[in-house]
Amino acid sequence: MSKALTTVIAAIDIGSSAIRMDVAEVRSDGQVLPLESLKKGVQLGKDAFTDGVLSEESIRAACGVLQDFKRVMDTYGVLRYRAVATSAVRESTNRETFLDRVLMSTGLDVQILDSPEENRLTYSAVLETLKDGPELQEGSSLLVEVGGGNADITLIEGNEPLQSGTYPLGAIRLRAGIASTATHEQQMRVVKRRIANILANVRRSIALKDAVNFIALGGDVRFAALAAGGGRGNLSPTVLAREEFEEFVESVFRSRIETLVRKYALSYLDAETLVPALMTYLLLLRETKARSVIVSGASIRAGILAELTPEKERGRLKKLASQILSAARSLGRKYQYDEGHAERVKDLSDLLFGELSGEQRMSDAHRLYLQVAALLHDIGLFLNTRAHHKHSHYLIVHSDLFGLRQRELDIIGNIARYHRRALPQRSHPTFMVLERDERVLVSKLAAILRVANALDKGQLQKVADISVSRDGDHIVLTASNVSDLSMERAALAGRSEFFSEVFGKRIILREAEATS
Amino acid sequence: MKHRPAEYLNRELSWLEFNGRVLEEAGDKRNPLLERLRFYCIFHSNMDEFYMVRVASLLNRIRHGDGKPDPAGLTPYEQLRRIGTRVRALVDEAHTLYFEDLLPALSREGIVIEAAGTDHAQSAHLNRYFHSEVFPVLTPIAIAEGGTTPRITGLTLNLAALLAAGTEGEEAEPRLAIVQVPSRIPGLCRLPSADGQRYCWLVDVVCGRLGALFAGYRLLEIGAFRLTRDSEVELDDEGRHDYVGMLEGELRKRSRATPVRMEYEQGMSSAMRMRLQGAFQVEEAVLFPVRGPMDPRPLTAIVDMPGRENLRFRAQPPLIPPVFEQHRSIFEVLRESDLLLHVPYDSFDPVVDLMESAAEDPDVLAVKLTLYRTSGAASPIVRALIRAAEKGKQVTVLLELTARFDEERNIGWAKDLEEAGAHVLYGIAGLKVHAKIALVVRREPDGIRRYVHLGTGNYNEKTARLYTDWGLLTAAADFGRDASGFYNTITGYSEPPAFERLIMAPAGMRDEIIRLIRREADRARSGQGSGIMGQMNSLVDPAIIQELYSASQSGVKIQLNVRGICCLRPGVSGLSENIRVVSILDRYLEHPRIFAFHNGGEDEVYMSSADWMPRNLDRRIELMFPVVQQHARRRALEELRTQFADNQKARLLKPDGRYERLAPGSSARIRVQEFLYRTLMEERELERTAPPARYVPIKKEEN
Repeated sequence: MSKALTTVIAAIDIGSSAIRMDVAEVRSDGQVLPLESLKKGVQLGKDAFTDGVLSEESIRAACGVLQDFKRVMDTYGVLRYRAVATSAVRESTNRETFLDRVLMSTGLDVQILDSPEENRLTYSAVLETLKDGPELQEGSSLLVEVGGGNADITLIEGNEPLQSGTYPLGAIRLRAGIASTATHEQQMRVVKRRIANILANVRRSIALKDAVNFIALGGDVRFAALAAGGGRGNLSPTVLAREEFEEFVESVFRSRIETLVRKYALSYLDAETLVPALMTYLLLLRETKARSVIVSGASIRAGILAELTPEKERGRLKKLASQILSAARSLGRKYQYDEGHAERVKDLSDLLFGELSGEQRMSDAHRLYLQVAALLHDIGLFLNTRAHHKHSHYLIVHSDLFGLRQRELDIIGNIARYHRRALPQRSHPTFMVLERDERVLVSKLAAILRVANALDKGQLQKVADISVSRDGDHIVLTASNVSDLSMERAALAGRSEFFSEVFGKRIILREAEATS
Repeated sequence: MKHRPAEYLNRELSWLEFNGRVLEEAGDKRNPLLERLRFYCIFHSNMDEFYMVRVASLLNRIRHGDGKPDPAGLTPYEQLRRIGTRVRALVDEAHTLYFEDLLPALSREGIVIEAAGTDHAQSAHLNRYFHSEVFPVLTPIAIAEGGTTPRITGLTLNLAALLAAGTEGEEAEPRLAIVQVPSRIPGLCRLPSADGQRYCWLVDVVCGRLGALFAGYRLLEIGAFRLTRDSEVELDDEGRHDYVGMLEGELRKRSRATPVRMEYEQGMSSAMRMRLQGAFQVEEAVLFPVRGPMDPRPLTAIVDMPGRENLRFRAQPPLIPPVFEQHRSIFEVLRESDLLLHVPYDSFDPVVDLMESAAEDPDVLAVKLTLYRTSGAASPIVRALIRAAEKGKQVTVLLELTARFDEERNIGWAKDLEEAGAHVLYGIAGLKVHAKIALVVRREPDGIRRYVHLGTGNYNEKTARLYTDWGLLTAAADFGRDASGFYNTITGYSEPPAFERLIMAPAGMRDEIIRLIRREADRARSGQGSGIMGQMNSLVDPAIIQELYSASQSGVKIQLNVRGICCLRPGVSGLSENIRVVSILDRYLEHPRIFAFHNGGEDEVYMSSADWMPRNLDRRIELMFPVVQQHARRRALEELRTQFADNQKARLLKPDGRYERLAPGSSARIRVQEFLYRTLMEERELERTAPPARYVPIKKEEN
């Protein structure tokens, strides 16, 4: 057998109305080429959003589909894959049973994806497809994907996400519980009202009206692009004029399901989700200034595939670092943080981290956690000045911060929490949810953050003026352009104990000798 | 669909015109004699099928009181009446041809078919033959007035005998008995003869010796007759049975009892005829007196006899594309360029080669194929698939069985396939898979590569020598992805994807065809170059016909070669004056579906497994695909264009539905089925003899 220089990888996405798989090949130059795309409708969302439990029938159907998919994977001998499940499985009480059944019947190890990561994966795939046009208007863009369970909405500017969130605007969820005895018109009115109610929440946290571009993703809107715009489907983006899109959605909105099935050769399943999904897009579009809808063929699977390529998996956070930091700043502004202080603490933390990372085996990802924690350590002040570190923790872990997994937010929240007052303790439940190595990491990074925070108490305004050196077990910080650091030394005295305890090193502050 | 009946031709009458052209070939003295006899046989067997299928369905509709007119405005009853008139004329023509032309011509070649036993030696031989071979299997059935309907198998030849019991003079009603002429014994008996080949009809041998069967009775009259029964099947585009799924056996049994035609020997007394008609309940409209051979099928033994090559078409051995002459693997060849095959001018071997190479090649991961009609266990493709599965490759075969009782014949090798580990699918519920597509997935050093074959004809190396068809072999990645998507769809692994290249029925093929036609109309209206050329077996779909009419009215020149049924009425001013339809009938059965759209100079060429018929576009899984590479597209276009230059075997469809043979006039004679072969051979010859490039480096001159 000739030696293959390529790897075949697969991404599986267990969504609310369908299970999908993309199989692709990674060439030796890192290029990812699509091989196969499969989609099979399974109504997991219908169960999850009405009863909160996945039915036996749906579980069995899902296992059947995944067995078929596994067979396709086996054709290519796929070893490297990632299978994820989104809101329908996430929100079901029997999700563990589901994962186990899938594992037993197919050997596939499925992970439940939290929404920030879902957004991040989609977002990175979209940016990839938009690289070759169409031209975006100057200004911010609203990225919308309406799934079966939820709608993921992200506001981005340039390459940076500003605000993002996941809202219960899913096509299946919107229809759930509506009496089937109601007339078509009545049903549609309920759907529209539900969307309008949730939109009020969206408006509060995402500046919809700022968006000048509207980028839409998802099967339903892709169908609309095909049906309204004509032509044939592929992955490259399609642009629909706003009026064109409005007209199409209105016509679909007025049609009965049976008509849609016949007219567009849709399955009943697809036709039922089409109307609420498209209406959600349209109502969101109307909140923005966008003149057109850019329909992107990108999917969460493209994002997963991109990360499965050997070198990219390592570089996930590296590639996203600047986007994550800008999302963190955006969150900070929302809670009216002291930007100057936050940035200085971040830079000081960075400085210390750089000195220690080598011997402490800390990675770039860890550096990013520290940076985010440093930027956000004081946001709890927005709620209350008392015990603000605890509020910071709370706000961070519930923030949907772009590009980070929930686990990572838990870590960052803990780092921020321990920037003052009590040290990490076994009696703190939020600390104990972390794994042992994660707890060690939090302690180290919190220790650095405490020192950095203390150093910004006085006149050390510019980190550029500080240099780091070693003197035995001492870490020596030498500041130029200052004459007296007694203030800082005093602040440090009470706050560097933890640092010494964790790292076994003391911090020494020195004034640079005047070079006349 | 809004349309005026006058704009359509009735499909049954159009089909009869097609069979008329087959008969015309039997009469064309430019054709070698045995080929003419073959056309004569095909004419009759076509007619049998037509009654079993199409007339049967009309009779059913009439019986159920369904009077709904067809798009041409004819009610089932009116259609039946017109069919009867046309069939009588055609069959009469056939018999005249047989007696006045074919028999004498055969006789001049020393092939004589005569009445039973003209001389003593022959008579003695036949007596021996009758008593040893025939008599033991004869089973007379007595027909009682008002008794149960006798079970007589359709299409068998039978003798009816009127018998008087006992002595002469008694007044009793004569009895009716029926004897089936054994169908397992050759219908033509070879006679001992010093010169040439002499035959007589088995039915005549039995007829002359029937007395032996009815000892004690007097034979008042003997008459031959043949019943045709409802087969409850559709005809496919090759005029063969296409059983409509796994229909309830019940229904078929019941309808089996329904005769849809009775042929009887001309000269049969009306008393006997009426008793037969009553016994089998045959409608008046489907009674046919016959003066020639009632069942000419045994004549194929003469058509197919060994030797006599001077009485057949000159052999045109299929050509192997020159790229294979350097003994390169099919994979190598296809990596370089797409390969277009026009069988039987081109050989079908590269397709077989692809499957055989796939079976042997260690880097091949998967092989997938649709089998609609194949030569079964003997097929080299089936054998290759079994081998591939045995070697652990993932093999998926969609097997479309032609009939439930065909299963038994197929089941053997289908089981072999399954036992070897192949994934065998026996069709798709509610849809026949008529698409012809093969996929080979191979792991190569620079990545996965997929090899795809798409065609207009079946994976059957035997018919690939008799039917003309197009096929495309390609390693293009987009075709590969589509092929995988197609198989994921028909295996139920996935919903249909958005294809990049392929166009699939029933999901959107008609829409795509209409889009392409409309684009030509738009171009024509805006003064750009436009034009449509197409070849297919049948053109029936009213929606598409309507689009062709409007394109014609927009000024689009449309040329179609429709071999069989054509419901479009061409050349009608104000409706279709820009449409020209020809039909070519020659040695090979014209079978491709290929369509070219001028597209303002950016010609697009598509090939397809589907005719433009509602059946294909709505109730079957079919594939249409573009020919992308320029060299391939140019060739396809050129050979399609040649179809319309034929002035030997082409007929022009007139506005009234009749066909008129084209005459060369002052232009050169072109017979496309020979012209294409000759041209291809000359081209290949040229390629072969072209001097190899020589590389002479130019050296710097030395001072």
